[in-house]
Amino acid sequence: MSMDLSVPETWRVKGALYRLEAARCKACGRIHYPPMPACPYCGSRDLERVTLPSEGVLESYTVVYAVPEGSRHKAPVLLGLVRLGRVRVVAEITDADPSELRTGMEVEAVLRRIRSDREAGIIRYGVMFRPKLKGGSRGG
Amino acid sequence: MEVYITGVGLTKVGRHFDLGLRELAARAALEALDSARVDKVDAVIVSSTLSYREAGQFDLAGHLAGALGLKGAQTFAVEAGDASGLAAVEAACSLIRAGSAGRVLVVGVDKLTDYVSSRVYRDLQRLYEAEVQALYDIGHAGVAGLLARLYMERFGVSRDTLSYWPAMDHSHAKHNPYAMLPFAIDPAAVPKALKVAEPLTLLDSFPLGDGAAALVLESEPHGDARAKVVLATSAAGYPSFTMNEDPLAPESVGEVAARLREVTGIAPVDVDVIELGDTFTSIGLILAESLGLSEPGRAAVDAMEGRFTLGGDGPVVNPSGGLKARGHPVGATGVYMVGELALQVSGEYPGLKVDGARRGLAVIASGDGSSAHLVLVEGVA
Ligand SMILES: [Zn+2]
Repeated sequence: MSMDLSVPETWRVKGALYRLEAARCKACGRIHYPPMPACPYCGSRDLERVTLPSEGVLESYTVVYAVPEGSRHKAPVLLGLVRLGRVRVVAEITDADPSELRTGMEVEAVLRRIRSDREAGIIRYGVMFRPKLKGGSRGG
Repeated sequence: MEVYITGVGLTKVGRHFDLGLRELAARAALEALDSARVDKVDAVIVSSTLSYREAGQFDLAGHLAGALGLKGAQTFAVEAGDASGLAAVEAACSLIRAGSAGRVLVVGVDKLTDYVSSRVYRDLQRLYEAEVQALYDIGHAGVAGLLARLYMERFGVSRDTLSYWPAMDHSHAKHNPYAMLPFAIDPAAVPKALKVAEPLTLLDSFPLGDGAAALVLESEPHGDARAKVVLATSAAGYPSFTMNEDPLAPESVGEVAARLREVTGIAPVDVDVIELGDTFTSIGLILAESLGLSEPGRAAVDAMEGRFTLGGDGPVVNPSGGLKARGHPVGATGVYMVGELALQVSGEYPGLKVDGARRGLAVIASGDGSSAHLVLVEGVA
């Protein structure tokens, strides 16, 4: 139970959280996620929306034991620093045992429940990453 | 116009179950006013990060001015995440240098022990970008854990070597009467402690504590000045640690170090004593290396070899015990740092004293690394 999820907030972030929507800067060519009104690298506001690739590489990972209120039942939480093409994303890792995680391993995006707030009747979904099976995707 | 530090008030960081937010803040504020031997100020700036979520008090500066009998003062609140205290000092210096105020009371306060730690972790998680990233359960330590593994793998530094950083903090804190954890620890105990965000453990992370610190800053030294603020600056708007080209070398920290060189002609390594915002071991190492105190990948080894302690060949780093052992009552921390440095350069520091220290530097990066704050103080004797 958390009682701090909001309906409008859940709706607003769905582009970034469901579809990995990012922004590409037409001035410097760099991509940032989540999309902001100006490029964090050069300050330009000449941006276009792009969708990040759904497969990437795990650059780093951690197993979080100090899990916040509302999600204690999920402990420990696996968190990854995932490289998707030229962009890095911080997101939860799912469908994996901590012992199988390695930096450099291939991962793929899946939609999962991030948190739920039973009191407010909200379930928030978002992209998580799971180890990619050798020889192809396990499917979405 | 010069800015002098004439008063310092510090409370011991810890579990102040008996004091509310305002009472704790008032304790530090009154000590600062008394030590400056003044009872009136033109402005009060309060620095607090978690208090509106934890203690539920808005307009804390106004309420505090009332509680302290500071009738007629201008009041402001400053909030800049982990770096709030340094931002408040910067704001006070700006008021004084602009001639808008002659004497400013800066009070930093936060209470992190009134609620269970999992609730505090949820609030601390909002130190990161809160619209998307902090919607995941990254906790307060998740990003620091990611950076720690990246650091170890890139530089081939072992978990055991990392442990010398918090051990250094603790060996300094045992002399500090205001430290929350004033005892030494065995580096070998660090990896075996309760895991927080692998590879980081509880002994790599700041303790949850309550604290308040206060300063009186003035345009006139009136004979009691302990130090002057040479530079108080900050740089925001850079990519976060994880978005930065190199997550282990935040541009924001490089920028404030460059400004220090431009304005004063000195580099961080040239000062006598430094207080760093080492929320976690990995963040401490990244700060030390981004400021040029160590070569990339070397900060933990340098700490192990005693470079940053008394008698070492670098500046003394975190004589207070750092965030790890003095503690990190978030909005108060920067104010503690500047107060401690003022006492170091005036020869009055009650803890690990850096004899003959003339210049002291405080640096804190925001939780996600996208901004950095720096304050340089110098003795006036
Ligand atoms: Zn750009």
